[in-house]
Amino acid sequence: MEPFPLTEPVLLILLSLAAQPRHGYSILKDVEQMSDGRVLLSTGTLYGALRRLLEDDWIERLDQKNTSRGRQAYRLTPRGRKNLQFEVDRLKHLTRLANLRVALKEA
Amino acid sequence: MLTFYRHLLRIYPSAYRANFSEEINAVFSSLEADIAASGLMVRLRFYARESSGLLLGAVSEHWHQFSVRRFKMSTEFRFPKTTWVLMTLILGGVVVAIEKGEAISNSLAFANPPVGPIHPGQHVLLAGILTLSVFFYALGAVAWIVLFALRRSGVHRLSETASQK
Repeated sequence: MEPFPLTEPVLLILLSLAAQPRHGYSILKDVEQMSDGRVLLSTGTLYGALRRLLEDDWIERLDQKNTSRGRQAYRLTPRGRKNLQFEVDRLKHLTRLANLRVALKEA
Repeated sequence: MLTFYRHLLRIYPSAYRANFSEEINAVFSSLEADIAASGLMVRLRFYARESSGLLLGAVSEHWHQFSVRRFKMSTEFRFPKTTWVLMTLILGGVVVAIEKGEAISNSLAFANPPVGPIHPGQHVLLAGILTLSVFFYALGAVAWIVLFALRRSGVHRLSETASQK
């Protein structure tokens, strides 16, 4: 099971799949774009994370006819979406708290 | 580079390779094509990142496989309920037998004849049992070697048969 809080690469992979199903190459490019080039995942790292997420039933392979195994797409499962939402809420709460604390210090 | 990368993939566990190697190769090819026109430093960074990611991933996957196997070994083996019942009954029987034995021993405390000295024939018996054990162990080892050799030669012949087709 992916531990909370999620690592940044795993969070970015899940966010990448939140909008639409994607295959490996598309996930890598999207993660790079979302992080402004700061997070560059290697292929080995990406597929290690995908394997764990598949095993934990956070994502699933999309059944696509006429698709080679080299371009296999993945999508979030309801469980994965729920866990992602949980993590986003946690981060929102943390950001709100951080803003309050910083504002208090400045005042 | 793709050939080298494919060779590197062989260090992953076979189950992982069966699941992901085609995809990993395809993604690596696409990424390599993206940076084909880039400078030397960009390409070197890319290859370093991919190789290290693959090596660390392989270590992680082997550890995962090992921990899954260990976990399965500890959970899959369970005694059936009948075994627990039988073991409890046997334990009860052994405890009752010990109690009975003690009671008989107490009732005949001074009637037991002294034990020993050990008769020379009993020493021969002990040595004989040990000799027989060693003999049968050696016999079993020889039989295993013969069967192993037969199996190896049989497999060899089968592979030759397949290649002739």
